Amino acid sequence: MTTVPIGGPPAGGHADPVGRTPEWLVLTGSERGASHVAVKSPNQDAVATERAGANGVVAAVADGHGHPRHLRSARGSRLAVKIGCQAAQEFADRIEQNSAFIAQREPAATAGGQADEIAAAAEDFLVPSIVRRWREAVLAEVKADPFTPAEQEQRHTGDDEVIAYGSTLLLGIALRGWLILAQIGDGDVVGVSPQGGSVQPVPDDPLLDGLVTTSLCGADPRSDFRIAVVDTADQPLMAVLLATDGYGNAQVVEQWPDAFSQDLAWMLRERDLQWLASQLPAWAARCASSDGSADDTTVALIVSAAATVLRASATPAKGAVDGSEETTIPALPRTDTIPAHVPVQPDLVEPVTMRHLAHRPAPEPVILERTVARPAGREPETTELVIHEPDTTDLVSREPTTNEIPKPSQGEGGPERHADTDGSGGR
Amino acid sequence: MTETLMPGGGVARRPLHFIVMADCSGSMKGEKMQALNYALRSMLPHLVDWERDQLQAQLLIRILAFASSPHWYVGEPVPVADLSAHWRNLEYVPMGRTNMGPAFRAVAEVLSPDRLERRALRPAILLVTDGLPTDPPGGFESGLAALTEIAAGRSALRLAVAIGRDANSEPLDKFRSPEVPVLVADGTDEIADRLVTASIAVSRMSEIGVNRGALAEQLNLAEPTRRSQPDVVASPGATGSFEDIL
Repeated sequence: MTTVPIGGPPAGGHADPVGRTPEWLVLTGSERGASHVAVKSPNQDAVATERAGANGVVAAVADGHGHPRHLRSARGSRLAVKIGCQAAQEFADRIEQNSAFIAQREPAATAGGQADEIAAAAEDFLVPSIVRRWREAVLAEVKADPFTPAEQEQRHTGDDEVIAYGSTLLLGIALRGWLILAQIGDGDVVGVSPQGGSVQPVPDDPLLDGLVTTSLCGADPRSDFRIAVVDTADQPLMAVLLATDGYGNAQVVEQWPDAFSQDLAWMLRERDLQWLASQLPAWAARCASSDGSADDTTVALIVSAAATVLRASATPAKGAVDGSEETTIPALPRTDTIPAHVPVQPDLVEPVTMRHLAHRPAPEPVILERTVARPAGREPETTELVIHEPDTTDLVSREPTTNEIPKPSQGEGGPERHADTDGSGGR
Repeated sequence: MTETLMPGGGVARRPLHFIVMADCSGSMKGEKMQALNYALRSMLPHLVDWERDQLQAQLLIRILAFASSPHWYVGEPVPVADLSAHWRNLEYVPMGRTNMGPAFRAVAEVLSPDRLERRALRPAILLVTDGLPTDPPGGFESGLAALTEIAAGRSALRLAVAIGRDANSEPLDKFRSPEVPVLVADGTDEIADRLVTASIAVSRMSEIGVNRGALAEQLNLAEPTRRSQPDVVASPGATGSFEDIL
């Protein structure tokens, strides 16, 4: 297992952790790959989001392997994100119960050690819990629904049952000022600094050469997990992207995380959350199309509430973007975007996926030109500019009968923006 | 309708690099060279059709002519349709030998991690030769090792077409991917057929989600001179890694 804490002690030390704790929200999108549509195979990716701790969030994406040997990988990825979120919730509770991490954050001189401790705790508790539960869940499912004769023919002689369910898993926990990231297998985790720099906190795995991947179904998945802990008080990040490899494999730019981060930072500055929520399904659809990787593509974007502005403008988000066969309605705008003072909803609903009748090519999007400055006046008529922060972030929680994003109302303190002091992380 | 802005610089199909290693040694003089050129020209439209009909890959082709030393006849990867439209015949090298080791190294160089896109599909390499390697002792083996030591070379679909039964040699067995046989053209009139077969293998076995084992079996059945083939589809590595088919 590879573990890397990110961020040493800040120059000025930590301020009151409660007062500085950012809120986080998650937006998601998932699309079946064009190649899977062609051969009538399902979307083998999965995504889930849940609340974690008092006001944190967890997001998980997973990519079930496409080889016929992994014949139940779509089920494996669904189990992976579900179990990953459950384990993350328990891990978040443990962290929050540990006053050394939260209530009495250590001074600057030793703050880096806290990241180490959280990373070690993730290694000792989170990862083993996920690995064990996923295996148990798979074996229980096989017991309840044994392989059919046709499935048995697809399996390789001597294969462990779990190999049929093989999947990756990328997990992001945003808890107070910490971002706790765990990954097994391919895919990308990209952090976006306030200045638009990119940072990829999760250590590289030399085994991942683009041709093979590690997996939850591997011989020693515990050691194949890679962990990073980011202290956002020291390394401000306005967003973290978790993406299955269908996203990165579609990107023309070799160093796409840099370009992505620069563009996303601009979007977060210039556009509102409602608009951004409508974009992720379109991004996934574009990458999953035959103009992109043609692979299942799933993205989850963990966004600091301090990085954007929830707008009161009320055009309902068009979650069902034209051309997207599957559109995942962002889960968190109705759940985890809720600040701490809003009553907690006990049961969260997984992102709702709407399936259209036929696969259509994703629409040609506007590709951002990063070398050209973007004056505010260039905004299209259909999207209002964010010209100031609202006074409040008091959200109204509602069930997702529509794609409408909860609207801010008056009377509460506005979201805190990250100080614009971070240097870009770079790769 | 909500506008869509795509961050990151745009999307494209994943590149599939196809490298043809063409024997242009002195023994290819005359009818063989003509037949090889005809075969390559005949193969390209099949690949163009496949590229048009499938959803996943942008097929990019290079051609390495080798004799005593390798020479990139088409050095930069070009869309297969472009090459088909602007084909120019290869020429043999008078007195040229069949040194494969340096040719493997040349291919390894372009498939190295710093040259190959991270998102590229596993490449395909087609070796067409009429004879045994003439490398100095150890030259063939060290060159082949240079190719298979890099991940892309090791995982590449490596096909060999032997022009003449004598060319179906142990060295070609070492080169080819374990799951596919050496394709033998008994005469110059069969070269085109074998290259078309090879192109089908390249295209079909590069498709996402395909059962390569079944395709390889079809290829084996179609090739009566095949040798015994091991079952090597998607075995986990010692570290528990798995073939990353989409």
